[in-house]
Amino acid sequence: MKTSAVFSTFLSLLSLGSAASSERKSSSTSTTLPATFKPPQVFKNSNLVHVISVEKNYVKENINVLIENIDKTAQDEYFVPFTADQMSRLGGVEVKDRKDSSAGPFIAEAVEFDQESDIQYLRIRFPKPLAPGASQTLGITYYLLKAYKPLPASIKQEEQQYLFFSFSAYCPSAYTTSKQKTEVKFPTSNIPDYTKLPGSGDVKEFPQKQGSKLTYGPFDEKPAGATQPVSVRFEFNKPVTHVSRLERDIEVSHWGGNVAFEERYTLHHRGANLSALFNRVKWQQAQYYQPNTFALKEMKFPLRVGSADAYYTDVIGNVSTSRFRSNKREALLEIKPRYPVFGGWKYPFTIGWNSDAKNFLRKTATGGFVLNVPFLEGPRQQEGVEYEQVQVRVILPEGAENVKYHTTIPTQSIIEAGVEIHRTYLDTLGRTALVIKARNLLDDFRGRELTVTYDYPLMASLRKPLVIFGSAMAVFVGAWVVGNLELKFATRK
Amino acid sequence: MSLGFCFQSSFSANPILLFAGFESIIHEFDPWFNFRATKYLVANGFYNFWDWFDDRTWHPLGRVTGGTLYPGLMVTSGVIYHALRALTIPVDIRNVCVLLAPGFSGLTAIAAYLLTNEMTPSPSAGLLAALFMGIAPGYISRSVAGSYDNEAIAIFLLVFTFYLWIKALKQGSMLWGALCALFYGYMVASWGGYAFITCLLPLHAFVLVCMGRYSTRLYVAYTTWYALGTLASMQIPFVGFLPVKTSEHMPALGIFGFLQLLAFLDYVRSAIPSRQFQTFLWLFAGAAFGLGLLGLVIATSAGFIAPWSGRFYSLFDTGYAKIHIPIIASVSEHQPTAWPAFFFDLNMLIWLFPVGVYLCFQQLADEHVFIVVYALFGSYFAGVMVRLMLTLTPVVCIAAAIAVSALLDTYLSVKSPKPEENQAVEGAEGKKAAKSGLKATNKPVVGVYTTWGKGMIVSALAVYLLLFVLHCTWVTSNAYSSPSVVLASRLPDGSQHIIDDYREAYQWLRQNTREDAKIMSWWDYGYQIGGMADRPTLVDNNTWNNTHIATVGKAMSSSEEVSYPIMRQHEVDYVLVVFGGLLGYSGDDINKFLWMVRIAEGIWPEEVSERAFFTPRGEYRVDGEATETMKNSLMYKMSYYNYNNLFPAGQAVDRMRGARLPEVGPTLSTLEEAFTSENWIIRIYKVKDLDNLGRDHSSAAAFERGHKKKKVTKKRGPRVLRVD
Repeated sequence: MKTSAVFSTFLSLLSLGSAASSERKSSSTSTTLPATFKPPQVFKNSNLVHVISVEKNYVKENINVLIENIDKTAQDEYFVPFTADQMSRLGGVEVKDRKDSSAGPFIAEAVEFDQESDIQYLRIRFPKPLAPGASQTLGITYYLLKAYKPLPASIKQEEQQYLFFSFSAYCPSAYTTSKQKTEVKFPTSNIPDYTKLPGSGDVKEFPQKQGSKLTYGPFDEKPAGATQPVSVRFEFNKPVTHVSRLERDIEVSHWGGNVAFEERYTLHHRGANLSALFNRVKWQQAQYYQPNTFALKEMKFPLRVGSADAYYTDVIGNVSTSRFRSNKREALLEIKPRYPVFGGWKYPFTIGWNSDAKNFLRKTATGGFVLNVPFLEGPRQQEGVEYEQVQVRVILPEGAENVKYHTTIPTQSIIEAGVEIHRTYLDTLGRTALVIKARNLLDDFRGRELTVTYDYPLMASLRKPLVIFGSAMAVFVGAWVVGNLELKFATRK
Repeated sequence: MSLGFCFQSSFSANPILLFAGFESIIHEFDPWFNFRATKYLVANGFYNFWDWFDDRTWHPLGRVTGGTLYPGLMVTSGVIYHALRALTIPVDIRNVCVLLAPGFSGLTAIAAYLLTNEMTPSPSAGLLAALFMGIAPGYISRSVAGSYDNEAIAIFLLVFTFYLWIKALKQGSMLWGALCALFYGYMVASWGGYAFITCLLPLHAFVLVCMGRYSTRLYVAYTTWYALGTLASMQIPFVGFLPVKTSEHMPALGIFGFLQLLAFLDYVRSAIPSRQFQTFLWLFAGAAFGLGLLGLVIATSAGFIAPWSGRFYSLFDTGYAKIHIPIIASVSEHQPTAWPAFFFDLNMLIWLFPVGVYLCFQQLADEHVFIVVYALFGSYFAGVMVRLMLTLTPVVCIAAAIAVSALLDTYLSVKSPKPEENQAVEGAEGKKAAKSGLKATNKPVVGVYTTWGKGMIVSALAVYLLLFVLHCTWVTSNAYSSPSVVLASRLPDGSQHIIDDYREAYQWLRQNTREDAKIMSWWDYGYQIGGMADRPTLVDNNTWNNTHIATVGKAMSSSEEVSYPIMRQHEVDYVLVVFGGLLGYSGDDINKFLWMVRIAEGIWPEEVSERAFFTPRGEYRVDGEATETMKNSLMYKMSYYNYNNLFPAGQAVDRMRGARLPEVGPTLSTLEEAFTSENWIIRIYKVKDLDNLGRDHSSAAAFERGHKKKKVTKKRGPRVLRVD
């Protein structure tokens, strides 16, 4: 965990000046290359293990590869190919050195060279170039969202849900791979269908099944770009929760000593649709006989200790089916959607809570402030939650300036960050709001930190009381003046 | 200072009671429409709102909403919303709407204070009136947070208009008269009950004239109000030319003309000798009366003036609506008031009310005549229609405050007249009187002498007042702060359990059906579906088209074969019914079903018959003994479909009606169950598309159930002889 934090440490300094914006451009997530770009064949994958985990409702892939520089010069760029479709669903890319956890940050970013091309590349920059003939073990972790299709696409409410997933048995690589194998991990051992391949060596047939794991390979040398499409169909009797948009507001109040959180979810169930319409009798009976279902019934949000005043609403109003427990050890918000969410159904909702500012906010020696909050909280579900678009907005007090942030979320996931003005509660200038847009995040990243530093001069904090006092005085004086005006015609005495 | 307190108390008492139980939520039915209209206004601006044609209600007819509503309420909250936004206070339009009614109830208390102060010199009367106004259940029923209805601001406008009227009348001031007209215009923009003012002010003027109290003050006040007020009221599209066309507005016009004549006569009288004036008067009066009557008859018969509307007739004959317009009679608010309701809504005030009116008789200045007239008028209408209790409440509060303050003023003074002194004075006076011989003109000295007697009376009054507060709190928290969208119940351990089926189902509709899926339901739920589920409806609480409602009633009360074509013709996608059988919830559709039947029968007497829903012994049953028509009706089938599967075989019970249901539940072939809420209160059915194989639905459904297709013997019709 520590190493990954070090690796993915992404330092983006962002200040209000124009210099900062140019700096942001340079660290942008995509780089333009000529349309005819092909990765130079400077590496060889000596050994590769590809682990695909479909245990949750997103795919987590892990490529552990021993690379060797076969070129004559030192190299510092390694390319990983994806299809254009995968690229749009790719998230949470993290690269590290398996052997040396103290190696500096590997920066992974999408390469922009030809929008039309079906093959897109992810470029990994090494912290220091790899000498000719030297080798290094890379651990590349990434996630794919919206990876499954339910098969059958619609089932009855009491039936089991099966998901279908296709991938390549040979790990897609831009380089020649001498030896490789692909392991697929499943949530249960119930895998009714999977593609079988002719074996090699002492194995007659791929894959080998061990419990809830399938292993394709080991395979011998494959050229760059070799693929072998295979597909699996497995039981996944859990909701396929997909959050198409999450808006997370974090509002800091210095006067109130409070940090308020609000999260607005647009939640979809991407699993199997109902073949017959919802039947309440069967649902109520299933609650007793067969409580395991692919419908989403409940979500649990473990919040930071000290959270208070949780609420749970949707567009119509308060939803009464929630429980909030907050004590010294935990703060747990359990919510139930108004109705069980089946495949193809949608349920948008809002939750929010407050917390004491001292849990998150600290004053630095130089007089500035440091805010340290989780980038993403969200529900912790056994089956996982995926987020397609995430917008985190940190609303700082009116007059806060010199805003910089730093987050441990993978660089590749962050699309955009900027400072906006948010007007609320008798503001005159409006509050400084840091807006960070990210995409393709997973609940694996809940708890990753977002650190915001800013300056907040004393005058800025006194502005509002003074403005209110001044305007109230103006109203009183105005009323007094108007009250003393003689509007009647002068009466002759 | 104390007034501020009253304002505070009346403002704050209500929302607290509400928030103790529920969140900030719009209540009941009509407020949901007002809320939706307000959102539209805020989102699209005033001019679009004015021209709003709503195609999401009354499918496929639509509704010219902008021209058929009273915009005062929405515009008021829109203005408040924009004002707060301008101050960068991030307020949600929903919270503005929810808290508008309590806010205006505070203003009503102030208006009641001002109006009462015009009646009596005692300063305590106004404060008491404000206090009563703030907590009387009769008004709190419409001023709790969330009751976002026209009445929320209308009662304030009503009382304040009356205050301005009294002010204008007392001073004969054109300024006050114009202000009165302005607020009258606001009232017209806000509530259909403005007709109450339109009739009460002329009546007051008429009574004054009959009492021989015609004065230039009356002339100035009345003509200013009428001329400006009528013009103001005609600016509202929904009202338009009604003030000069309908009978409801004729008294105001008549009195206006009458006052002109009086003024003219007054002028003539001052100009010519009295003998000639006598003759002139008779001739003039006869001619004016004759001409007026002739004009009225001609105008009515020619159709320039509409005769009284049905809702108005039902104010005079309580049985009228039940026979002629069942749709009006089906609303519980339009029923005649039961007598306990007076005590329930007004408690102690109801017996203080006559005392206050009596005290008005004692002084009987122009403004006291107003209270007397208002009291009579208001009492009558409150007796006819439950909802008009609302218009009675202000005058009851004022009269009761006058009475209580008279009592308190008498008994609360610590200084008691000394008997000996009085005796002495009386003795002395007696001597004087004996001398002057005018004993009758001397008033005997009246006073309360004993302190304990004062103490008794005052403490008794204090106890009554406290009991009144208790009663008001109890009524408000029990009867009037339930939003009716959310039901609260108690779990065995005493904790509150919230039954939220309505919103569960509406949210499901909103999220999981097509944006333009048409929902058919009984009209009660139209506004809620529009507001919460945001889906087009066939009929809603704006019952402007009786035939359309009857069509829905017919679809609900007929068999599937008859209903299906109706639903197809109206492009219905989903049908929503409310079923209280599992929970014992009384406001469900089976209980309202007879109204649907009656309304449908009003239009199609030969196809729907109310009698067919009663057993031969005249009972309305839902169990095995129910009539065939009942069992085959769509409503019955939708309510009980699949219900018996919830129970062990043969033990299905309808807890609402305490009926054991037949062992085999109803079957549906043209509809399929789409959603049922947790406690079965809302059931939504999807209307099936036409069968793919061209079969009719009942045979398709029978096939699905595994029944063999019945050999359909070809119907050849009765044999007839060929005649060539």
